[in-house]
Amino acid sequence: MPFSAYLNQQRENCAALVEALGKHFQYVSILGTDVHATMIRADRRSSAVQDGAGECGFVVKMHDGKAFYEYSLDDISGDKAALAEKILAAVQADPALEGRMISAAAVADEPMVKDFVRESDFDQYTDEQLLGICQELGKELQAKDEKILNAMVAIQPYVVSKLFVTKNRQLSQHYSWANGYLMVVYGGEKMVQARHGEGADNLAGIIANLKNNTDEVVDLARHLAKATPIEPGVYDVITDSSISGLIAHEAFGHGVEMDQFVKDRALAKNCMGEYVASPITNMHDGAAATHSVASYFFDDDGVLAHDTQIIKDGILVAGLSDLASATQLGTDPTGNGRRDSYKRKAYSRMTNTFFEPGKDKLEDMIASIKHGYMLFETNNGMEDPKNWQIQCTAEYGIEIVDGKLTDHYVSPVVMSGSVPELLKSISMVSDQFKVIGAGMCGKGYKEWVRVADGGPNLKVRVKLG
Amino acid sequence: MMTVKNLLEKNQHVNGWRITEKATLSYELFFVHQSLETVRATDTVSTSVTVYVDHDGAKGDSTFAVYQSMTEADIAAKIEAAVARAKLVSNQPYDLPEAGEVTAELPTNMKDCDMKELGVKIADAVFAADTLPGGSINACEIFLYRDTVRVLNSRGVDKTQVTHRAMIEAIPTFTTEKESVELYEDYRFTQFDAAKITAEIAEKMQEVKARSEAVKPAVPMTVNVILRPLEISELISELAWDLNYASVYSHANLHHQGDDLQKDGTGDKLTLTLKAVVEGSEKSACFDDDGLALTDTCLIENGVVKNYFGASRFGQYLNVEKPSGSLRCAQVAPGTLPMADMKRQPCLDIVSMSGLQLDLYNDYIGGEIRLAYYFDGEKTVPVTGITMSAKLSEALSSMNLSTETGVSGEYDGPQRMLLKDIAVL
Repeated sequence: MPFSAYLNQQRENCAALVEALGKHFQYVSILGTDVHATMIRADRRSSAVQDGAGECGFVVKMHDGKAFYEYSLDDISGDKAALAEKILAAVQADPALEGRMISAAAVADEPMVKDFVRESDFDQYTDEQLLGICQELGKELQAKDEKILNAMVAIQPYVVSKLFVTKNRQLSQHYSWANGYLMVVYGGEKMVQARHGEGADNLAGIIANLKNNTDEVVDLARHLAKATPIEPGVYDVITDSSISGLIAHEAFGHGVEMDQFVKDRALAKNCMGEYVASPITNMHDGAAATHSVASYFFDDDGVLAHDTQIIKDGILVAGLSDLASATQLGTDPTGNGRRDSYKRKAYSRMTNTFFEPGKDKLEDMIASIKHGYMLFETNNGMEDPKNWQIQCTAEYGIEIVDGKLTDHYVSPVVMSGSVPELLKSISMVSDQFKVIGAGMCGKGYKEWVRVADGGPNLKVRVKLG
Repeated sequence: MMTVKNLLEKNQHVNGWRITEKATLSYELFFVHQSLETVRATDTVSTSVTVYVDHDGAKGDSTFAVYQSMTEADIAAKIEAAVARAKLVSNQPYDLPEAGEVTAELPTNMKDCDMKELGVKIADAVFAADTLPGGSINACEIFLYRDTVRVLNSRGVDKTQVTHRAMIEAIPTFTTEKESVELYEDYRFTQFDAAKITAEIAEKMQEVKARSEAVKPAVPMTVNVILRPLEISELISELAWDLNYASVYSHANLHHQGDDLQKDGTGDKLTLTLKAVVEGSEKSACFDDDGLALTDTCLIENGVVKNYFGASRFGQYLNVEKPSGSLRCAQVAPGTLPMADMKRQPCLDIVSMSGLQLDLYNDYIGGEIRLAYYFDGEKTVPVTGITMSAKLSEALSSMNLSTETGVSGEYDGPQRMLLKDIAVL
């Protein structure tokens, strides 16, 4: 599947609109997006094959030496001078606000012309084949236990083409990703839902991993049906990769989004160079930091992907920025400018966020705990970059007694407390490493983007409720 | 839209179709402190087409997006592809909603306002509350939208509704020599009232000042907890979502008609009605995504599940005579306890949470509390750094609702909910 033919045809239109708007603004960029998502799903009683949440449109970003202006539209064909006038009129601030603009430095526009492509195997599968796989796996799950009330299997590929044009820069990128899910509704001692998710840039891997995990998801459902609430308290805890990633994401992912620095909304702004975590802690974010769902080649501001080390040996060393925040802070943007879609503003956002692996063996970590829990599977989390509180919810936990995992499951488990206390309590880091590319992240309660989180197992001491 | 309609009507393999078009005009202002960082405007249209194909005694459907950039040939090809996909899908047959024409404008006082002028008025109303010594509004985003949604289908539905809505995201902050703290404000409305906006933000400014003074209380403790509209609304949404036709059809619902959610209850009985229109709510609508007229539906009466709700298709599967449509607003009947009376006994009056955590299946309600007022029977102090945790069924059985009601987001109902004997750590 090649780069969008439609966007390819728009290169000249973009350049012409940049030139027309360049008469009014010091800096003009246009991001064109053509994203195709497909949703294939089957459960016991219904199925679907349809387009998912895709997009196709343009966002123009302008800077006049003071503030920023953006205009989102569907079509840039036609008379460019007229379109430029329309855009100019639309983004012009009311005269009452003209004296209240920020004054940000000029935006750099380094020359570069490059086309980036990452191939996938999506063309090798038809809708019919993928739906057939979902239906077969659904039947297989259903047959494993008569207490399964319903089984749902979904495969969701999406293909991204983006074009970025300024006066000096013309970049294009084309890449793909897919997620797969198993879910069973189980009517045991109580009704529960058990899930398993996969993410990869090739469907062959996703299909194989879904097939390999049908027993696990049914086994999990059986255990969750017997799970009890956890006795609230402070415990020694081992996290699986997904919970480690959730901690990274909520603790110092949102906490170092540098548009929050501009607004004095992040305590981290004043803590650069300070210990914020145990000295065995190292944390990264970046579209180029690992290969997962947020591994693009350039961000929505046309800045090339980075690998940013946020925490080095427990010390906070760097943050994540978009073009507007970096311009205001006088720093270099880190390739973290991302949009929910072309219809929304670019903010500083996470990409693939994770802790580096350590040297400990998982079995030694479990053996070191007299009484505690191992936590599994992210449900949700909430950030508080200003006041460094954290809330992470795990789907379930397994009790550890005398250094051994028991058969006692607890669900759900809400982990909360102070970020520095939590990160400074990291006493062991496993040599295992996994990044899970199946998440969505909002800023506040909006602006959803696809993110990956992960890392090794961590041993921490934290409040569970 | 008419090109798409003509192409659908020409295609002999298409047995039914639906076109949903949403045109959005927006004007957006992004402030850093009180300075304007970014001005945005959008003029976009989203068009979604669903194709229905009857085959082998079943009905298949497939949905695709139509972009402005597509040619007639592109759209015709997408229709053909959707027909092929729909033939892969074998769902139990159902009918599309029948003919009906509606053109509606949902209640608002913003429709004749110039968006740029209104943006300034809203900004001025927000920053008018930025007067507290030590306080500041570190960020403010203002969004003004005009949405026009039109739904057409092959059975003669042609319905249009226009919504004018606004959203303010503001970050009230309070700074002392020791620390700086903030709260998050997400305020949505369809009726502009400058004084109400200023009062709302001013209240948050007082609350963030309280957060700067908040201490961690002695824990663990068991105490009555008071929830505010945001959290009540989340709880109500969770209870309602469990009762939608699709969940029932797929055997994923926990509660069933006739179930008593407040068995042996000692508090106020819950009566929950889903509504098409709640004045002031941006979620108000006359019809749903299928173009089905929305019908107000009582889901829970005096604690007992009475009805389910949802889209036409799944309603037909459950043999519901008149499906309600996908209702989005909720109304809860007032309770028996005035707000002032809730605070006569020791209690934790929660102002802000990281996010209410709810799990119906595991019978759980809880979450981290960012700010609450703790009344120990003698004095009230602001508290923070604590977490609540309880069995949802027990909390519901003994809960009380306030006599005072109001609208908040898609929720219209009691402004406070009292949950008794909750564990706080």
